Amino acid sequence: MEATSNSKQSKTPQLNPEGLRSAETVTLWKTAWRRLFRRKSAMFGLGILVFLLLVAIFAPVIAPYDPYQVLIGIEPVRMRQAPCIHLLGCPKDQPQHLMGIDGNVRDQFSRLIFGARLSLMVGLTTVSFAIVVGTIFGSLAGYLGGNVDNVIMRIMDVLLAFPTLLLAIAIVTILGPGLINALIAISIVSIPAYARVARASVLSVREMEFVEASRSLGGSTLYILFGRILPNALTPLIVQGTLGIATAILDAAALSFLGLGAQPPTPEWGTMLGAERNQVFTAPHLVFYPGLAIMITVLAFNLLGDGLRDALDPRLAARGAE
Amino acid sequence: MNRKSLSNLVGLLVLLSLVLGACAPQPAATQVAQPTEAPAQPTQAPAQPTEAPAQPTTPPAAAFEPLSLSAPDCDYGGLVKSIEALDEYTVRFTMCEPDPAFLSKIAFSSFAIQPREWLEQNGGGGEGSPLLERPIGTGPYVVKEWKRGDELVFEAFADYWGDDKAKTPTLVFRWSSEAAQRLLELQSGSIDAMDNPGPDDFDTINADASLQLINRPALNIFYVGMTNTYPPFDNEMVRQAIAMAIDRQRIVDNFYPEGSEVATHFSPCAIPNGCVGEEWYEFDPVKAKEMLAEAGYPDGFETELAYRDVVRGYLPQPGVVAQDIQAQLKENLNITIRINVMESGSFLDASDSGLLQGLHLLGWGADYPDQTNFLDYHFGGGSSKQFGDKFADLVDALKKAAALAGDELRKPFYETANNLIKKHVPMIPVAHGGSATAYKATVEGAHSSPLGNENFSVMSVPGQNTFVWMQNAEPISLYCADETDGESLRGCEQVTESLYRYEIGGTAVEPNLAEVCEANEDLTVWTCTLRKGVMFHDGSMLDANDVVFSLIIQWDQASPFHKGNTGAFSYWSGLWGAFLNATE
Repeated sequence: MEATSNSKQSKTPQLNPEGLRSAETVTLWKTAWRRLFRRKSAMFGLGILVFLLLVAIFAPVIAPYDPYQVLIGIEPVRMRQAPCIHLLGCPKDQPQHLMGIDGNVRDQFSRLIFGARLSLMVGLTTVSFAIVVGTIFGSLAGYLGGNVDNVIMRIMDVLLAFPTLLLAIAIVTILGPGLINALIAISIVSIPAYARVARASVLSVREMEFVEASRSLGGSTLYILFGRILPNALTPLIVQGTLGIATAILDAAALSFLGLGAQPPTPEWGTMLGAERNQVFTAPHLVFYPGLAIMITVLAFNLLGDGLRDALDPRLAARGAE
Repeated sequence: MNRKSLSNLVGLLVLLSLVLGACAPQPAATQVAQPTEAPAQPTQAPAQPTEAPAQPTTPPAAAFEPLSLSAPDCDYGGLVKSIEALDEYTVRFTMCEPDPAFLSKIAFSSFAIQPREWLEQNGGGGEGSPLLERPIGTGPYVVKEWKRGDELVFEAFADYWGDDKAKTPTLVFRWSSEAAQRLLELQSGSIDAMDNPGPDDFDTINADASLQLINRPALNIFYVGMTNTYPPFDNEMVRQAIAMAIDRQRIVDNFYPEGSEVATHFSPCAIPNGCVGEEWYEFDPVKAKEMLAEAGYPDGFETELAYRDVVRGYLPQPGVVAQDIQAQLKENLNITIRINVMESGSFLDASDSGLLQGLHLLGWGADYPDQTNFLDYHFGGGSSKQFGDKFADLVDALKKAAALAGDELRKPFYETANNLIKKHVPMIPVAHGGSATAYKATVEGAHSSPLGNENFSVMSVPGQNTFVWMQNAEPISLYCADETDGESLRGCEQVTESLYRYEIGGTAVEPNLAEVCEANEDLTVWTCTLRKGVMFHDGSMLDANDVVFSLIIQWDQASPFHKGNTGAFSYWSGLWGAFLNATE
């Protein structure tokens, strides 16, 4: 009943700005996609991400070696040997290692490929968890208001008061080092950002006519909040989430670098970087490639996130429509 | 209104007193602690009179009350029977058994002498005690300032008793756990010398004309320890299987610098009787797998591998070696290992207390070139719980060997001891690691000590008033009676001195605060004549009571001054067998 009224509204030209925002939800996605496709940087980010995703999925096919395989006694290679690429003139009788050999005589390239799996997994899981929890808290705070709002948001303020990485380190110290614990820690520290965004969106949407209509038709609180308000308050969360993945990957790499995240011999980029930090002059390839991988991934998410924000911003949308 | 402001005032006062209470416990605690503990002293004293009735001795010592402590008998398990001041400049050590290594031991820096008054005044240590920060010694340097976490500054002691005063007025210790950073600082000239360049950097330093690399002989051991009180390491067959499943040659070949060698025994061969007896197990993964299956773990098990991420001569690349052992045990025995990187201090504490439940990586550098420093410290009667319960037969063999004078006489016992170590496998000796120190080419007097105790008073750079040394880590404390870490000991060694010392850059002993220590025929009584006119950094003069007091507070566990940093005093029990009045 209400859904049809919404779609009807959207087809009629809008004059009232209140109505514009609420009514455009259906076409918003289409225009947003169109706008996103027009942004070269966002498409570049998306392209890298698709590439990384494919690398992660087909890691066992792409990687020439098992990432855990120690090559001592199997191939004539030395610890921290420089890359050997046949195309670039490395003698054919030597085994090819695109990114050289790491400190434990393993193929760096294979480890980097498998590392993509971990980093993407870290980014997606932590942010999904944080979005779910943050949205629930934030929307409850925004919709119910009053004391609930106060209690929830003050707790979030307390969490926000800590520098995120420090708080994550504190949590990992309590839980014990390990990739899963690092994920939990990063999830927890990213909750407040989503809670705030969700609350703000809910606050702006809940006073709109269609919500009032639902309420007057006797919709339950839960239905109104999760069925009517939230779907219309999602866009800022998506933008925040995409940008948040980049931060989460960076935080996870930082924790692993400090030895609190993924534990050796897991091929995690931060761990690889941390293990070889002393060899920055003697074996730069061991520090360069994992660092580059982290940078590219974070850059991709940031570009896409920026593009999404521009594409989904209702104010920009209104401007673009003129 | 009035009442409200009153209650506010009271609240404020409570808050203020809480803050004051939280901020000022240290001076208060030491002042309070002394009077409360002082009365306890006489009640304990009657058993072994610490203040012997003034024996009529030489005339000038009329005001001198010689201090002494003796054990009622030798059943307490230690080597020392008594330590007595005979007169102002004579100290007599009576041993329970002959001790041919006495001079080498007494020269060690944890038995350095500090003024009795200073030790008493600071309660013998304890948390926050100035004793841990500012040792008062007789050495060429005085601690000027210790900026925790930043640098440790020494300045030359103008009234140093020796002929050779410190060559450089100011000595600075800095530290960085990263070999790359140390080298970078040396290359940029912000430091003059560094410890332990990374194995990959040896060639870089040799190729640089403005730097010099000095190799340090491999007088050390790197081992994989196990605590036999936790399953499955309580099973000897499990330990033997692991010993056979680690390819030690591969570790040394791949991850150690030149000059390193695979350990055939726990002690290096350069130590007299160091490598007598059977050689260590050959690498045999098939047999190891069979033995592990026989012991009840055909599919391996899960455990932990703990280490501290600090570079030492015996372990130049801790992380890499840890991961290689992890990979080897996974491949050869299907043992799944979780690597646990610990902070240096807490790692050593946990290891000393036998709390590490899995494998651990640790090593040992010689303090003095004698088997007792290697074997007795780790496996003897006075050793810590690092490897869990002690092995009675091994303790017995070591005790017999230590009591004999002469390397030939001791040989059969050390053969037995080494064979027993191979049989029981309290740990797996892996490598004797070659290491080095690097200096600017302009440094005069540069040397590398096999014992790790580089002496900076003989070093200088022409035209420079400050000499900066960069080591791997910050000293834990500077009360070295209760430290075992080489980075702490090196700091103490610039400031405090013992009765004897090791020659600079070598291992031979020479007289220091004592002019001479003479033994009786069977090496059970050592009489030391102290040097006269030796001034401490606080201006007081060295006498026999300072020597006796510095040592008996380590020896006597019931002493109110037996506190130190953690209270472990590992070197005392390790080298002299046991504490007097041991509480457990």
